Amino acid sequence: MKMLFKLAFRNVFRYRRRTIITFSAISYGLGLMAVGISLYNGVDTHAMDNIINSQTAHLKILAAGYFEKKDEVPLEFTIDEPQEIKSLLKNNRDIQGIESRVLFQASIISGMDELPCMGVAIEPEIDPLVFKIKDSIIDGRFLEPSESKIILGSGLARDLGLKVGDDCTLRIFFSIEDFIWNALDLEIAGIAKTENPMVNRGTVFIPLSLAQEALSLENSVTELAVRIEDRRRLLEVRESIEGRLASLSKDYEVVSFEEYASDFKELMRMRSRMQALIPLMMILIATLGIVNTMLMAVMERTREIGMLAAMGMRKMEVMLVFIFEGALIGIFGSFAACVIGGLGGWWLEAKGFSLAFLGEEIAEMVSFLPMEVYKGDLTAGTLIFTFILGTVISILASLYPAYKAVKLDPIQALRHVG
Amino acid sequence: MSIAKLENIHKVYHIGKIDFPALRGISFSIEEGEFLSIAGPSGSGKTTILNLLGCLDKPSQGKIFLEEKDITALPTSKLADVRRKNIGFVFQTFNLIPVLTAMENVEFPLILEGQHDPKERRQVTEDILTEVGLKDFLHRRPNEMSGGQQQRVAVARALVKKPKLVLADEPTANLDSVTGEEILQLMLELNQKTSTTFVFSTHDKMVMDFARRIIRLRDGKIESDQKVNKK
Repeated sequence: MKMLFKLAFRNVFRYRRRTIITFSAISYGLGLMAVGISLYNGVDTHAMDNIINSQTAHLKILAAGYFEKKDEVPLEFTIDEPQEIKSLLKNNRDIQGIESRVLFQASIISGMDELPCMGVAIEPEIDPLVFKIKDSIIDGRFLEPSESKIILGSGLARDLGLKVGDDCTLRIFFSIEDFIWNALDLEIAGIAKTENPMVNRGTVFIPLSLAQEALSLENSVTELAVRIEDRRRLLEVRESIEGRLASLSKDYEVVSFEEYASDFKELMRMRSRMQALIPLMMILIATLGIVNTMLMAVMERTREIGMLAAMGMRKMEVMLVFIFEGALIGIFGSFAACVIGGLGGWWLEAKGFSLAFLGEEIAEMVSFLPMEVYKGDLTAGTLIFTFILGTVISILASLYPAYKAVKLDPIQALRHVG
Repeated sequence: MSIAKLENIHKVYHIGKIDFPALRGISFSIEEGEFLSIAGPSGSGKTTILNLLGCLDKPSQGKIFLEEKDITALPTSKLADVRRKNIGFVFQTFNLIPVLTAMENVEFPLILEGQHDPKERRQVTEDILTEVGLKDFLHRRPNEMSGGQQQRVAVARALVKKPKLVLADEPTANLDSVTGEEILQLMLELNQKTSTTFVFSTHDKMVMDFARRIIRLRDGKIESDQKVNKK
């Protein structure tokens, strides 16, 4: 066995140029695949984090019926006793913060310009416990409770040419269809640029009390956003909250970020199906490379194979020489693929890349993911998968050429002129 | 003692739709320690006989015995075992493994045979390479050696496992006459020293001059079977 391995090892370096080409196909193909997987994982994780930090929190408590109509941003499904619910859940140690919020359809007017947006009324003193809007203020400051000020997403501010200290008008719609609205003149307290471009280009934040007054909601809110300590305990916390809410007379529903972002999840699922094609293509390239190299080797070494058979080498031993050869190219190539994938994945994880080079406006237009910077998530599992995949493919791809080698008639093989 | 015996051997090759009879009823036996040349023009059946003796091919009719044992009906895998243990080959084109050194090429049949002690293996290999005059070329690869040196390695490789029979198919055809004669002289010396049986095919008069027995073939039949007495 050792001799067969030695023979295979030396044969790998016998046709250097061809080995290098196959090695490159495997290392680049699988290396890029590893980078792709890291990027995909990163997008999945970071995009979800961004959605949680700027839009959904971990859980939302809603009045029954709201979730089904959430895309219409309805105002008729309200939570009328938010404080009572907060008190009920006060002692739950899994909960980091609960914020009362009102979501409403709105538009922002500056001079002659008007742009539609999503209005979010928040509790400024509690919001930082649940969301990361405060951390994303790039100009001005965060809101104070009850003040008549507004925070604009950076894209909105740019498109309307507004800056901190400017005044603008917020048109708050009770009903878009019936065109029933109220208007507030507000000074811009700050500009927020979150990691989520969707928020930046279409969201404004105002203090809760202001919205409640403008929308005549009194103490009612449209949702309670809940941030929990440990995302892995999401199910347990949700069940516990649902248990507590059952004691109340009104019906509520508790919705997780995954359900809230189900459109995004579906998008990711579709992408993952499409992205599965990339590894498949890489696998195909690597397989063809190995098959081609090994078939050439069988052809060029026909007489040698005949001689090995004449010396009494068994078919399985001849096969093993070729399988070892393919496996060695695969192992070297897969190792290099891990280095390429590791470096690429590390760079993506550390730095990431932004579409900003396209210009901020174009970047926002083409970005369909809730991310400003596309960051990777490199795991040891990705590299191990790449290594094993490359090696297994190479071994499998060597089987056919190895089979061709042992099917040769020793007499014909010995006569072969190569 | 008879090392090999062929009984009424016929061999027909099917080339397309045409049947080509390569051997037509060949019978002879080979005694231990013979230095036998099978001679004849191209297409007379020399290589076919070597292939049959070497268990690389099976006859269409007739029986082949190696050391009294009928090998005609053995399956391919068993024939590989017979080759591995009992037969050494020397080819016209040397057929060394290019990625192995002289030492490794000669050691290879011992490894295939299952000799596990590397120290002992290397000693046997070194001894035989010294015997064929390649003491200083142990670690050279085939492409670093002349044709004559490569054929010496091939002879050492054929003999290292002490086979019953060494088959050499036109062993000097790719060598100049001086080198060819040296190789034949070497094989003859080893034949006399070790009593290993040598059978080689040739149509070269100089090669036949070395033989102690010459079987001449023509059109797949034995034309003559002649013992040559030499000093």
